[in-house]
Amino acid sequence: MVQTQVKQPDLDIEALQASYSEKSPMQVLKFALEQFDNIAISFSGAEDVVLIDMAAQIRSDFKVFTIDTGRLHRETYEFIDKVREKYKLELEVLFPDAAKVEALVREKGLFSFYKDGHKECCAIRKVDSLRRKLAHVDAWITGQRKDQSPDTRATIPVIQVDTAFSTDTNSLVKFNPLANWTSSQVWKYIRFNQVPFNKLHKKGFISIGCEPCTMPVLPGQHEREGRWWWENAADKECGFHSMNADDDD
Amino acid sequence: MNITMVKKIKADGMPCRKSANVLSELESSGLLPSIGRVVAADERNPKSEGFALALQYDVEAAPFFIVEQEDGSEAVYTTYSRFLKDVFNHEVSETDQALEILAQNPDLDFL
Repeated sequence: MVQTQVKQPDLDIEALQASYSEKSPMQVLKFALEQFDNIAISFSGAEDVVLIDMAAQIRSDFKVFTIDTGRLHRETYEFIDKVREKYKLELEVLFPDAAKVEALVREKGLFSFYKDGHKECCAIRKVDSLRRKLAHVDAWITGQRKDQSPDTRATIPVIQVDTAFSTDTNSLVKFNPLANWTSSQVWKYIRFNQVPFNKLHKKGFISIGCEPCTMPVLPGQHEREGRWWWENAADKECGFHSMNADDDD
Repeated sequence: MNITMVKKIKADGMPCRKSANVLSELESSGLLPSIGRVVAADERNPKSEGFALALQYDVEAAPFFIVEQEDGSEAVYTTYSRFLKDVFNHEVSETDQALEILAQNPDLDFL
C-alpha cells in the first residue's frame, strides 16, 4: 500500500503508548500538557468538554480550538460560548475556507451531502480547517474513544504519531486521553463534577455534529446511527467485506 | 508501466457508485486509455478476478489501482487522488487532499 512518509517525533511514542495505555485520562492529559508547550485541545462542542475540565485542573494556560463548520446547531454554539465563559478560555474558533465552501455550494447546492455523501462537505468544512490548524502545533488532544465506533475507533491508542496530519518536515503527536473510557464513564465524570454539557444531549442526541447530519437516537441504538444515517447502504455498496466473508464461509 | 483498475459490480449488474464516478472522471479527463485493464469484482461471481485481487492486496473497497513498473515493483492505490498525483503527476487540490486524509482516516469526520 502506498504510504506517505512523515517525520518521526523525538519521543519514543511506542514506548510511551505502552507505558500510558492503562493510565487514567488525567494522567495522560497531564503528561501531554507538561511535555508540549505548543499543544491544543480539539473541542467538538459535545462531551469532550471533560478534557477541558481536566486540563483546567492541570494548568491555566492551555489552548483549545473548535471548528465552526457553519452548520452547527444553535445549542452547540451556545454551549461553546458557555464553555468559553466558565473556563475563561481563549477558545479559538476555526472557520472553513470561504472560497472552497462557496465553490461547493455554487456547484452542488447547500445539501449536496444527502445526494453525494458527506465526505466532500466534511473535507472542506472540517478536515481542511483542521489541517491548517495542525500545521502550526506540535501536538493535539482529542476526545476520541474506542467505544464511539467499533468500525473506526476500536483500536485507537492514547498516544500516537498522527500520520494523517504529520508531514515530511513536521511531526505531530496526537493524544486521545479518553480512548479507554466508555460513554458511561464520561457521563459519570460530567455529573459528578457538574461539568456543563450541550443541551442537545437532553434531547436524545449522543454523537453531535452538524445540524443536517445529526439526529437523536433511540434507546439501544449506537450513537453512530445518529450520523449520516442515509449513507449506510451507500457505504457498503463499494466494500469487499461481505464478499470476503462469504468466500471464507 | 501497467495499470489495473479494479471496480465493483453490484448484484444488479451496475457498477458501485464510487467505481462509476471514477470511471466517469477518468473518461472525461482523457486518462481512461492509460488504464491497461479494468477488471471487475462482481457480486454475482465471487470468483471474479477483481475479488481475487482485493483479497490478494487486502483492499476493502472499490475502486483501487495496481500499478506495475517495468522493474517489477508494484504499488497499490486505494485513493483516487493519490493515484492521479503519483502516476499522472496531476496537481491535487487542497480539497482533494483533505478528502484523501478523510478516506484514509475515516474517524476524522466524527470530530
